[in-house]
Amino acid sequence: MEINWGLIWPILALQAILAVTGLVSLFKAEPANIRGPRWMWVLIILLGNILGSIAYFAAGRRET
Amino acid sequence: MKPFWIYYQKEMLEASRTYKWIWVPAVFLLLGIMQPVSTYYLPEILTMSGEVPPEAAALFTIPSADSVMASTLSQFSTIGLLVLVLAGMNTVAGERATGTAELVLTRTVSTLPMMGAKWAAMMTLMLVSFALGLAGAAYYTHQLIGPLEWGAVASGGLLYAVWLAWIVTLVLPLGAVLRGPAAAFISLGTAAALSLLSGLLPSRFQWSPGRLSSMAAEWMLGAGAGAWAPVIAALLIMLLSIIAAAGLLRRSPLSPQS
Repeated sequence: MEINWGLIWPILALQAILAVTGLVSLFKAEPANIRGPRWMWVLIILLGNILGSIAYFAAGRRET
Repeated sequence: MKPFWIYYQKEMLEASRTYKWIWVPAVFLLLGIMQPVSTYYLPEILTMSGEVPPEAAALFTIPSADSVMASTLSQFSTIGLLVLVLAGMNTVAGERATGTAELVLTRTVSTLPMMGAKWAAMMTLMLVSFALGLAGAAYYTHQLIGPLEWGAVASGGLLYAVWLAWIVTLVLPLGAVLRGPAAAFISLGTAAALSLLSGLLPSRFQWSPGRLSSMAAEWMLGAGAGAWAPVIAALLIMLLSIIAAAGLLRRSPLSPQS
């Protein structure tokens, strides 16, 4: 089967944008403002696709 | 109007500092693009998964362009709505935690411009994200599956935006009295309950704003009925929510909650 990469790359790019934004925010935050250990969120963001990044942005930080 | 603009700029700044302006539009665009692409590749995905014999996969027919758009809306109803509510849940509850509420409430200024600005900022984020997601879905559906009726997409999208708007607005008054996650949970629960009720008893709930999501899908399919009553009900709920949120924030205790 021929995969048309022109169709797939925007999806991959958006996933990458989400993950990179999540990681940047994670490493810029003070450890006290992160719920739970930082390495756990790194794994969640990298392995959890869209839902992992959503989970981090929704529950990962204390907004103070 | 001046306090409103100051609060509005503050809200927009806060939203961009917390990366909301990146991740919420990205999630919507992703949801919008993935639906037509995965529909287009579904026969291949079925064959590659190995569970389905290739003959059965060949029987699968690609649905029509407007039904792909309608199913994109149901994607927005689950993950999209969840994302919007989660992104908005701390706009009011968070003010107490950070102490901004004390600063505002100890002065004799009205909380209405503040709530109005919070609402307007949420709506800006929601409309931009949803428009991006819908445009992505429409572009890909048009390219991969077939030509679309642009008028139906636009009117269905507009109706759907009203549905998203009233649920997201519910977070404001709930956030004024509850913690952020509780506010998010209750507003999503209300939306689910109302849309279930109006699905079960359609004749009793002609006016229910819970019908808006299914009506928007019908409009996308080109079979729209009049939607004035639910739209007016949704607009009233939004207006009352903003006023109630401003009043409740004045009354509720200032102790840090979330």
